Amino acid sequence: MTIFTINDVRKTFITGEVAEEILKGIDLSLQQGEITALVGASGSGKSTLLTIAAGLQPASDGQITFNGRNMTDMSQEQIRKVRASEFGFVFQSAHLVPFLTVEEQLILMLEVSQSKLKKGQQKKEIGHILKLIDMEHRKNAYPASLSGGERQRVAIARAIIHKPKILFADEPTASLDSKRSKDVMELIRNLTKTLNITTLMVTHDEEMLAYADHIITMKDGLVE
Amino acid sequence: MNIAWKEIKKSKVRFMILGSIVFLVSFLTFIISGLANGLSQDNAALIKNLPDGQFYMNEDAEETYNLSLIDPSIQEKVLSKQEQAAALSIQMGFLNDDEDKQRSVAFVTSTDSTLFENVKEGEIVLDRSLEEEGLKVGDTLTNNQFSGKFVVKGFVDQQKYSHAPVAFINMENYKEMHRVNEMQLLFIPAGNEFPAIKGLQSFSNSEFLNTIPSYSAEQLSLNMIVWFLIVISGLLFAIFFYMMNVQKIGLYGILKAIGVKTSTLFKMMWTQMLFITVIALALSIALSQSFNFIAPDGMPFSLTAVTTVQLSIVFLVIGFVGATLSGIQIKKVEPLQAIQQGEV
Ligand SMILES: Nc1ncnc2c1ncn2[C@@H]1O[C@H](COP(=O)(O)OP(=O)(O)OP(=O)(O)O)[C@@H](O)[C@H]1O
Ligand SMILES: [Mg+2]
Repeated sequence: MTIFTINDVRKTFITGEVAEEILKGIDLSLQQGEITALVGASGSGKSTLLTIAAGLQPASDGQITFNGRNMTDMSQEQIRKVRASEFGFVFQSAHLVPFLTVEEQLILMLEVSQSKLKKGQQKKEIGHILKLIDMEHRKNAYPASLSGGERQRVAIARAIIHKPKILFADEPTASLDSKRSKDVMELIRNLTKTLNITTLMVTHDEEMLAYADHIITMKDGLVE
Repeated sequence: MNIAWKEIKKSKVRFMILGSIVFLVSFLTFIISGLANGLSQDNAALIKNLPDGQFYMNEDAEETYNLSLIDPSIQEKVLSKQEQAAALSIQMGFLNDDEDKQRSVAFVTSTDSTLFENVKEGEIVLDRSLEEEGLKVGDTLTNNQFSGKFVVKGFVDQQKYSHAPVAFINMENYKEMHRVNEMQLLFIPAGNEFPAIKGLQSFSNSEFLNTIPSYSAEQLSLNMIVWFLIVISGLLFAIFFYMMNVQKIGLYGILKAIGVKTSTLFKMMWTQMLFITVIALALSIALSQSFNFIAPDGMPFSLTAVTTVQLSIVFLVIGFVGATLSGIQIKKVEPLQAIQQGEV
């Protein structure tokens, strides 16, 4: 089932006098519960497409439909709500909140997404996900005292604790070594499959493609 | 979960530095305004402690009460109509004690009135500060323009004029000493009608205070200092909050990216600002109030609760405005900015 479609999306950046079209009419669709990998040369516009899809920046033209709703017509506030409760993000670096413990990062995300969980359920949910990412023993640690891989695992936990419909991931394994990368991909795959989360993931790493259900290649602002 | 509080707990040092800045400027402002008020009491407590009312002096005196002479017939008329009104005179002068030690005082005399000390001829009532200097009830004092002697009858609190202790004397003695028959001023307390009197110019209490040249000059410069401090602290608040917010742009971006509302971020900043300011103010209030008690006797320092509350409110408002102005950046932060700028 198609849950997310991108239709003829264009993006033009204007730097000074020069206008450069980075996305030249992208079409793609995401199937529920599947992992779609976005690959392509550096500078081909992968990150730009991902952030537009995730509602972090507007497209210059085109249409994005999520769950039957046209995102391009939404107000800033409506997009924020979608981001908060129906999307999850993982980026190249973890971007954790420096003054919150691992556990608090997850509590914050649950609060932001306005999940209607009771205190006890919240605890249970958090305990469960901490077990999945194997971070139970570090739940009271602050980001500064975690290793890169640990931080990235916490970032993944934060991205899916509120059970989003779509997970956007931009090179989630780029800062990790090969062993850790596989662990993290394994984790994303298992979590998204059990929770039926749809994933759009940018990657450079050939090895990671093994975890994807679909692969889309971008070149010069177009899907090949 | 209160993220404002979590951040304060984690970044104690940063918030403590900000808090100590708020504390220092507010403390300084409290102390300076305590001094300003103290000096003003020292300069004009005699007038400031009077109830609101209306002063009258001769038009020809050109707003200089020393030069004013009230026509006795006019005085008679006003005093007979208005029971609470009084005529008074003030002259700076000296008193010598038994050991010929000279003390500068402000001689004050008045017609019968509840507003001023009423003294019999040959008697004198002095400000308490002279008791602290060693004078006692029953001591005799002299003045080179006065043929007789003054016997100290008692002491009163907080009666200062032109930075000198007030000495209340009888009208007859005053007339002899200063070789005048007329009084300088009429005073009618509020609650009575204030007639327009031909040949006399009327002043409210504060207008009258401002005709005393040393008083207005002194207060003007001290109040300038206080207002400068307030303006400077406003700038300091804004600059410090600005710097803090700049450091936190990345954080705000992440929080926005995951869907935190801009208004939540503002609330977070306001909570932190309020927390810091309230603690810093509480500390400087406590300290300046204790300074009120331990200030050396000779130092004119008086910080009233009203002034403290007023200044505290001004500081809270300034802190709020400073934080909000510097927080306009929060509104501008794009979530993407944070994601594209490396590690957090
Ligand atoms: N905000 C922006 N303003 C101007 N140009 C931009 C902006 N963001 C991206 N670009 C340009 O768009 C092009 C595509 O960038 P993008 O980050 O999407 O590439 P990418 O495919 O993710 O590359 P990489 O694999 O290196 O991450 C680049 O040439 C980049 O310089
Ligand atoms: Mg990229």
